[in-house]
Amino acid sequence: MNFLTELREGLAISWDALRANKMRSGLTTLGIVIGIVTVTLMGTAIEGLNAAFLRSISAIGTDVLYIQKFAWFSDEPWWKIRNRREIWLADGRSFMRQANPAWKVCLESVSIRTLKYKQRTATGVILIGDTEEAAVVGGLNLSEGRFLSAAEVDGARPVCVIGADLARSFFPQGSAVGNKIRIDNASFEVVGAIEKRGKFLGLENLDNTCYVPVTRFAAGFVFRPGIRITVKVGDLANIEDAKEEVRGVMRKVRRLAPGDPDDFAVNSQEAFITTFNRMSRVIASVGLFITGLSLFVGGIGIMNIMFVSVAERTREIGIRKAIGAKRRTILIQFLIEASTICLLGGWIGLAIAFPISKVMTRLLPASMSITVVTVALLVSILTGVLAGLFPAWRAARMNPVEALRNE
Amino acid sequence: MLMTTNRAKNLAVFRAELWESFFMAMQALAAHKLRSALTLLGVMVGVFSIIMVMTAVRVLQNNIETGLSELGAHTFTVEKWPAISFEGPKGWEKYRRRKNLRLQHVRQLRDQATLARSVSAETWLWSGEASSRYATTNPDAGLTGVTPEAFAAKNWIVEDGRALLNSDLESARNVCVLGNSLKKKLFPFGGSPLGQAVKFQGANYTVVGVLEPKGGLFGQQQDNFLAIPITTGLNRYGSERRSLAIYVQAWSQQDYDDTVEQVRGALRAIRKVPPGEEDDFEIFSNDTLIQQFRGLTLAVRVGVAIISSIALVAAGIGIMNIMLVSVTERTREIGIRRAIGAKKRHILTQFIMEAVAICEVGGVIGVALGILGGNAAAIYFKAPPVIPVDWMLFGLLICSVVGIVFGTYPAFKAANLDPIESLRYE
Repeated sequence: MNFLTELREGLAISWDALRANKMRSGLTTLGIVIGIVTVTLMGTAIEGLNAAFLRSISAIGTDVLYIQKFAWFSDEPWWKIRNRREIWLADGRSFMRQANPAWKVCLESVSIRTLKYKQRTATGVILIGDTEEAAVVGGLNLSEGRFLSAAEVDGARPVCVIGADLARSFFPQGSAVGNKIRIDNASFEVVGAIEKRGKFLGLENLDNTCYVPVTRFAAGFVFRPGIRITVKVGDLANIEDAKEEVRGVMRKVRRLAPGDPDDFAVNSQEAFITTFNRMSRVIASVGLFITGLSLFVGGIGIMNIMFVSVAERTREIGIRKAIGAKRRTILIQFLIEASTICLLGGWIGLAIAFPISKVMTRLLPASMSITVVTVALLVSILTGVLAGLFPAWRAARMNPVEALRNE
Repeated sequence: MLMTTNRAKNLAVFRAELWESFFMAMQALAAHKLRSALTLLGVMVGVFSIIMVMTAVRVLQNNIETGLSELGAHTFTVEKWPAISFEGPKGWEKYRRRKNLRLQHVRQLRDQATLARSVSAETWLWSGEASSRYATTNPDAGLTGVTPEAFAAKNWIVEDGRALLNSDLESARNVCVLGNSLKKKLFPFGGSPLGQAVKFQGANYTVVGVLEPKGGLFGQQQDNFLAIPITTGLNRYGSERRSLAIYVQAWSQQDYDDTVEQVRGALRAIRKVPPGEEDDFEIFSNDTLIQQFRGLTLAVRVGVAIISSIALVAAGIGIMNIMLVSVTERTREIGIRRAIGAKKRHILTQFIMEAVAICEVGGVIGVALGILGGNAAAIYFKAPPVIPVDWMLFGLLICSVVGIVFGTYPAFKAANLDPIESLRYE
């Protein structure tokens, strides 16, 4: 008898056995269903959390470095870094002169202001003083007009580019370009409007922004502003090398002697991701462990029932062995029985978890991915095999003579 | 008379039945060791899951709550700002416009609050470097100005030397009491710091006392500060644009509510709040803070409890399954018992007893392991371990409930077997 025939026969026998004890099979499957549903939903929730995070930090380009006074996430005590020098516009210009020509660099400074157009007022607008490369560096797409030009930045012209929310509220119909708006009390001409960008980490609205030349910003709004130098290195493969190069240039700009500690920080998206990953790993492992326990309990239930099943069918096993069944045949038969229950439970579990995950979509961008489905099914088969192995082994090793004598 | 003897007899019979069921259950469990062990393992894991998670949650909760409850017994705080506020910038504006709490208010309140045991004030003055002859600290040492009564209100116990006195306050002396961890930093070589000078922000303060160590949140230090007389502090750092925290201590728990009301009324009068208007200050205590914190974390705790109890449901289903098998296997036995006079009720108790027995044994082991597992979190966070007695009892109770809920259907099935049919059963 070849292996395939054995498999087919095993399948048929176990199917019959399952149907013979409907209540028992149903309850055992239910145990597995509960486990699979919880594990799958937990997996989906965790994936959704990760997806939500990645989506919301996508405003920071992967190949963009931010040179700032302080690191975004730092373990250093505040008293060691509080006396760092501000990064001035002059530092930024000097950095631009010495920068690698392949980089795109912009100098940025931020302040919160009130904007007016005719009778309309927008409060709490993020006013960003910037240079001409900012659209490329920040990945801004313009819905109309153009971004600030180099000449405008050099000449500190009173022009601005507005975010999508501002464009919608100030100019609900018609074009924004060419109109004059007031920032504080100075008049600025709108030269462009930016497409909708969404929120950063669900907090900061990126569409309530207004870009003006950084030179104008320094002349009109903030006296001697501290700035942030943003560098798009354009080389994803060697981001670490680029970071090191940026650091070297900046040390030269700041005239730091060899051995002096940096008095600035080079930040990147990675800092957010590592911090988030540290948290999400803890959440994921705790969550999967707790939900995994219910799957484990389901597995124990299967093992228990399989033992009962083996004990009840001792005579049957004895007869099969007496007329020539090998150990392998018996082993396969019971393993298939356990796996069938688990696989069935897995499918039913997925069928239950799927609509629930649809409801979850309202909170998180969670969708049951193919990975989660595959893993769930694999786990359910594995549970079946592991839980079935011991009872099946016991069945396979039975002495046919003893088994036949069993009442 | 007849009634009572009858009742006593019934009770005795009932007890005998219960005992018999219990022994039969134990025998049944012992007869199928592997099966019982696996079922028990299921329940154990289910209970372990709940107890471990809830113990870990309790560890974190305790840790944060000890951090929140820095005040002494029956003490409450009056401040201009609320401890926790979710009202956004608009609410903030409301609080900002309130008058500051000044030392004058404290003095008046002390005269008027007759129910209070003590009224004291504190204000945080500065964070910076402190130095002694031997050492200089990082610039994260705190300087706080207090009145003498604040020691009791804040649960500060003087380890060495003396506390601040009213005479220190009256003459605004340059004296200080050191927090324990600051003392260790400033006087690393042992020896008494009493009478030594500590320099903070260019001013010298003579050490008159040292406080006992205070526990901190997640292993952090909370006593890295020096306390000086509030008058000295206000003279040096300015009393304008500064709102003091007032601590009021009641005599006992019974007087607590009355004291709060009296202080509220007195302070409203002192600060000339017109009748019908909202208080222009916030009153809170350890308890209100802890309640707020518990309210905030309620959703999380309930969610975690539900997720962790799913495993127990799976275990319950396992029990039901095995009990059904057990009923089928013992059909003859049931038939014989029914034939020689056992009532349905007896069979029912027998099987439910069996289910509950498995659950309880599994439950006890699960609770023990769960408490151990949950306290691993305590070690990780360097927090004191906890034994959540309520969850222990609840865990055991839930085990019985699971046993009864999932044992009832099989037991019911067993009890309803037809005796004749079941005797004939092969």
